[in-house]
Amino acid sequence: MGEQRTKKRIGKNRISEWLWGWFLIAPTTIGLIILNIIPAIQSFYMSFFKIGDFGVNNEFVGLANYEKMFNDPQVWRAVINTLRYTVLVVPVSIFLSAVIAVILNSNIKGQDIYRSIYFIPVVATPAAVTMVWRWLYNYHYGLINFVIKKIGLQPVKWMDDPNVAMLSIAIIGIWSIVGYNMVLILAGLQEIPKTYYEAASIDGANSIVMFFKIILPMVSPTIFFVMITSIIQCMQVFDVVYMMINVSNPAYDKTVSLVYLFYNNTFKYYDEGYGSAIVMLLLVIISIITVIQVKLQKKWVNYL
Amino acid sequence: MKRRILAFGLALIMMFVVMLTGCGGSKTDQSSGQTQQTDKPASKEDNSSKSSSGPVTITYGLWDTNQAEGFKTMISEFEKENPNIKIEMQVTGWAEYWTALDVAASSGTLPDTFWMHTNSIYKYTSQERIMDLTDKIEKSDKVSMDNFPQGLVEIFKYNGKQYCVPKDFDTIGLWYNKTAFDEAGLKYPDETWTWDDLYEAAKKLTKPDKSQYGFLAALHNQEGFYNFIYQNGGTVITPDKKSGYDDPKTIEAMEYYVRFVKEGLSPQVFDDAERAQLMQNGLVAMGLFGSWNLSGFAANEFMAQNCDVTVLPASPGGGRASIYNGLGYAIAPNTKDENAAWKWIEYLGSKEGQTRQAELGIAISAYNGTADAWVESNKTFSIKCFIDMLDYAVIRPYSNTTTVWEDKVYEELRGAFTEEKTVEQACKDAARVMNECLAQE
Amino acid sequence: MQTKSKVYLVVVHTLLIIGSSVMIWPFIWMIITSFKTVTEATAMNPFRFFPSQLRFENYQGVIEQFNFLKLYFNTFSMIAINVLCAIVFSSMAAFAFARLEFPGRDFCFGIVLFQMMIPTQIFIVPQYLMVDKLGARNTIFALVFPGLVSAFGTFLLRQFFKMIPKELEYSARIDGCNIGQMFVRIMLPLVKPGLVALAIFTALFAFKNLMWPLIINPSPDAATLSSALSKIQSAYSVNYPRLMAASVLAVCPMLILYFVFQKQFMESVVTSGLTM
Repeated sequence: MGEQRTKKRIGKNRISEWLWGWFLIAPTTIGLIILNIIPAIQSFYMSFFKIGDFGVNNEFVGLANYEKMFNDPQVWRAVINTLRYTVLVVPVSIFLSAVIAVILNSNIKGQDIYRSIYFIPVVATPAAVTMVWRWLYNYHYGLINFVIKKIGLQPVKWMDDPNVAMLSIAIIGIWSIVGYNMVLILAGLQEIPKTYYEAASIDGANSIVMFFKIILPMVSPTIFFVMITSIIQCMQVFDVVYMMINVSNPAYDKTVSLVYLFYNNTFKYYDEGYGSAIVMLLLVIISIITVIQVKLQKKWVNYL
Repeated sequence: MKRRILAFGLALIMMFVVMLTGCGGSKTDQSSGQTQQTDKPASKEDNSSKSSSGPVTITYGLWDTNQAEGFKTMISEFEKENPNIKIEMQVTGWAEYWTALDVAASSGTLPDTFWMHTNSIYKYTSQERIMDLTDKIEKSDKVSMDNFPQGLVEIFKYNGKQYCVPKDFDTIGLWYNKTAFDEAGLKYPDETWTWDDLYEAAKKLTKPDKSQYGFLAALHNQEGFYNFIYQNGGTVITPDKKSGYDDPKTIEAMEYYVRFVKEGLSPQVFDDAERAQLMQNGLVAMGLFGSWNLSGFAANEFMAQNCDVTVLPASPGGGRASIYNGLGYAIAPNTKDENAAWKWIEYLGSKEGQTRQAELGIAISAYNGTADAWVESNKTFSIKCFIDMLDYAVIRPYSNTTTVWEDKVYEELRGAFTEEKTVEQACKDAARVMNECLAQE
Repeated sequence: MQTKSKVYLVVVHTLLIIGSSVMIWPFIWMIITSFKTVTEATAMNPFRFFPSQLRFENYQGVIEQFNFLKLYFNTFSMIAINVLCAIVFSSMAAFAFARLEFPGRDFCFGIVLFQMMIPTQIFIVPQYLMVDKLGARNTIFALVFPGLVSAFGTFLLRQFFKMIPKELEYSARIDGCNIGQMFVRIMLPLVKPGLVALAIFTALFAFKNLMWPLIINPSPDAATLSSALSKIQSAYSVNYPRLMAASVLAVCPMLILYFVFQKQFMESVVTSGLTM
């Protein structure tokens, strides 16, 4: 409707609207083209080259980088690791934040204090956070192993054991994201009219039924948003893995993420062409996941 | 949603269009980069004429915070002598240093002066990203390559030209916890020690409750298995640029080294930073550490009280070796003031500067005859051993792509330490991946 | 609401308190460790859980070596400029994308969406070369360069502008406002919560960014808190008390801001999520 009306407006107004539109989007669009689009294209372009030292003597190699990538077991390990990290962090963090949000929403005392505390990790720098977690995870002197030994259990190699390291990293990931998701879901919950609960409790629904029948459908748009942003964020995990696991670590194969692999190839092994090919793969994977999610959302997300 | 997908498709199409034009764009980029370089001499003259009017700032890139402390003193002394030159130090961590330096080199914005390492020397010289100093050294009355150990001079030479002034060298020593030895009633290690002595001592020093391990056999090349490989007559890289990991002598040395881990005489350690920590807390009684750790170790109260250092043990066949490596001072080819930059490097490479570096305990100066000054700089440990080992020291193995194959080799070797594969298998795998990298050089 | 049984309350509070401890314990441990000596920190002895005395040597050590005043200044200048740019440019573009009709609109918005999907690491090297060509390394400008425009901000604010009822727009036009006046006087005040949210998010992004400042500003005087922190880590890789002291100094400013502007922080998160 609105569109039709705008189209009916007389010519002069329309031209002026065009000019205003172009003027207003100019800084952002030009900025994005220069800062992001051109660099992205350059990277794509680079993925067809073997880049010589310092970008001199570049050699066109066609699809060789992609061929190498598809035959490189490490790339596939990185894909699996990245997905594994996402699968560990996203559901657990959403579940935890949903539970906390539901509890806090039931007018519990100290709601604000709890909410503030759970949110703290969100405002800390990853560099500092990883450092303190490394210290907590330290095999010989870390606090966690100290407690474990006190209980009488065997200390755990949190960062070196290939079977545990991914979990340790995921714990940091969950820890730093729970507060953010919780605040979002809590806000979604507070939008639900009280009458819904009252009606349900008159019908004799217990809290679990209430959760699945009322709360969940009502906050599904929020959860959908939380999910999409968390997944994109998780697929690009780098800082924590980079600071915790180096190449000599036995857990490297089980933890290296795609972005970490890209970083190593680009900045450490100076194979920018191959690094670019890896990022292109990441881009494709993220696109696929996003499209699937958007398709699936119709099945479970309830827009009012 | 439909519209969004449409827009996205359009964006993709446009991407391909711009990509085509982008190709042309990046080509001109490169050529303009080259012209930039050829432009540089002209602007250089501009700047040097400017230097007479006011002080010129020379940037100085390095990666070691411990050494930066000492250089603060040296810089202020140098600036007093040369009021027209200001030195601005840029300290970065090791990994970031190379990332930043590499990008800077691509775009011709290197620091005026900076440290160079064997890992990257080939790349920088072959692409002429550091200045050829041959003429400058010839003309200088302060710096002469005759005053430095030949081995160190050689690594910074390319096509017969000298690209760096040697800065320092480092060797690896056997650090040990005296208190642990006293408790076990053992004699301290000395130059008579062989591999067997090390093994026997490690056995006696390992406590059953794992509160103390005898030796630190970490997955680390320079401060670890490289030393044993060369002591045993093995090699990491052959003169014709093939991997030496499948050499029986190398495998034998690796078997010996990994045995410490397998028999529980050493903890499994893979993290670079964690190694020193274990030594500093008495969890390991012996460990291999390079001379560059000295200031850090001396500052640690536990180590200062309990630890000391000696030469590395000899192999059963009497073979001795310690990995040594040297750093060099380099100048950017497009430095804003060639004369000022050279003045600073000339000072650092002169007898005076090298002695000062030794006296301040910054590092073992490369200059012949300054070793005593360095030994004097630290009374906490008996550090003379680091210099004694120079007689049989072996240069840290390197080729054009050292950084790449060192990482790949780590990836293969760590299986031996976690006992996922046999040492022999791990070495064979390491040789294979290393040869793949070397083939691409 | 139904009244909760006491048992329920006890259980719930216990769980929440355990959760809260997990959330803040790393920070408390950071502070405790920062006052210890290395020996104290690694001697895992319950009686040495707390430092034997309050020592400030670790703080002194890092402050002597790194000019924290300068780091704070750099970090906050960077944040301020990034926030300002994000608000000005994004609100302009977002308004146009949401409320105006003009050729090329959807295509340009496609660019915005596209940018949001790409891993940021892709841009680092080309952006570096650009800053370098301008000869602007080791400056505040270099720090703010990648954040001069914000695709995220444009996307976020567009949702806010979309929610404004059409009627407001018509009445403004009848009053004789041109589009610029309508944008500044009528629309902008209505999206204030969105602007606050954007400001906070931009500040957090800038504050957390590590790779870019590390590469573009190698000079210690031009570093930010995050990049300096990683340098401190490679310098004192095993001296945990000192690392923790540096971490405390780096985390503090944002934490203080957070506690002062807590309400705004929460609301900004909420508003950003509800506009999808």
